[in-house]
Amino acid sequence: MSCMSSIHSCKIMIADAAPIIRVGFMESLKSIKNINAAIIGVDTKESLFTSLATNSIDLLIINPTFGGLLPPEDIRKVSLNKEIRIFAIEISKVNQATLSLYDDHLHVTDDIAEIKNKVIGAINPQSKEVEEKENLSVREKEIISFVVKGHTNQEIADTLFISVHTVMTHRRNIARKLQIHSATGLTIYAIVNKIVDLSEIKL
Amino acid sequence: MVKMSSYNQDDKMITIITNQYNLIHVLSRFGIPLGFNDKTIKEVCKDAKVDCNTFLAIVNFLNDSSDKTPDISFLSLESLLHYLKQSHIYFLNFYLPSIRRKLLDSITLKASDVSFLILKLFDEYVEEIRAHMEEEEHHLFKTVEDAITGTSNNEKRLPVYSQHHEEVASKLREVKNIIIKYCPADSNANLLNDALYDIFRCEEELESHCRIEDLLLLPAIKHHINNLKK
Repeated sequence: MSCMSSIHSCKIMIADAAPIIRVGFMESLKSIKNINAAIIGVDTKESLFTSLATNSIDLLIINPTFGGLLPPEDIRKVSLNKEIRIFAIEISKVNQATLSLYDDHLHVTDDIAEIKNKVIGAINPQSKEVEEKENLSVREKEIISFVVKGHTNQEIADTLFISVHTVMTHRRNIARKLQIHSATGLTIYAIVNKIVDLSEIKL
Repeated sequence: MVKMSSYNQDDKMITIITNQYNLIHVLSRFGIPLGFNDKTIKEVCKDAKVDCNTFLAIVNFLNDSSDKTPDISFLSLESLLHYLKQSHIYFLNFYLPSIRRKLLDSITLKASDVSFLILKLFDEYVEEIRAHMEEEEHHLFKTVEDAITGTSNNEKRLPVYSQHHEEVASKLREVKNIIIKYCPADSNANLLNDALYDIFRCEEELESHCRIEDLLLLPAIKHHINNLKK
């Protein structure tokens, strides 16, 4: 997912019982301009689990000793976002076997640039690829024009000689690429980008 | 802004607002009027008949440098519920209508462009928020009220967490991004910026409102129900 294309669409959580480490990481991340993420700090296992289950967290930065050793796999089980990335906070020497369970680790002596590279890599893994994928295909534009003119999936399928299932797949891809899920939002997009003319829209 | 780690009842009420002006709305939702002189938090709360522990819990929870999990055992459920209901009234009856007025003022409504569709999109979003908040009042808040009066203490009626928060938040992001990307060029820039600024702030406030429900209200009511059972 592309966290950086829209503001605050990304959530990063810091879990460490020590306020100075937790707030330190929170403030450091807030100071990095390219990371437009909501940054949440948690200090207990209970609040960590509630936050993970209620919010789609993209990146969790956690002290490996937090809450009496929580293996990353247990964290993934409760997480609303199954693709959550989990980084370990390394304060003193942590053994390699433990670190290997995490996607990456941040050492407390890392400078801001190192933290920035690792965090951006995690919240936006293939930034270039994602941008390329965001262009709509000719077929997708065609589907949009039918949708905003008020045609049903069945009518679109019949007109284009494709299955309803295919129409739905196109619509899902359109919603993902444009980050627009409402019919009104799609209509605005279609008019501004001259896919349809305002006069063709039935309101 | 000067950040305080956390406030206690002997701090002066004014320091909360001067340190972090966006906490000013917490006072009005508790029904605490301005004009409190140099009184402490404890004194002002006593005058306004507000539960001081609950007030402090919310202020400290929203204070962005204190991210400690609050001690819910001192919370007054009545007071917390009252605060959340007032927040719903604030969003639905004041804040969102005021953003709509600003949007309406900033865009020239014409049949020849998408301006009226942008307003329609915003209205649809407000309706979704309204439905979400009404549903919350009918189910979650009702369960909390029943538990307070002891008429029912069925923990099973409580959600594990409030499910719709993420959906409601992503919808507002969509509205905001559409306005930024596709708003007609002849809109009044200053008025439109003002409306957008409010939408950003509304997004943040809704987010902290949801966090209060998930991380204060739900644990507090579960704690209360467990005590009743003992």
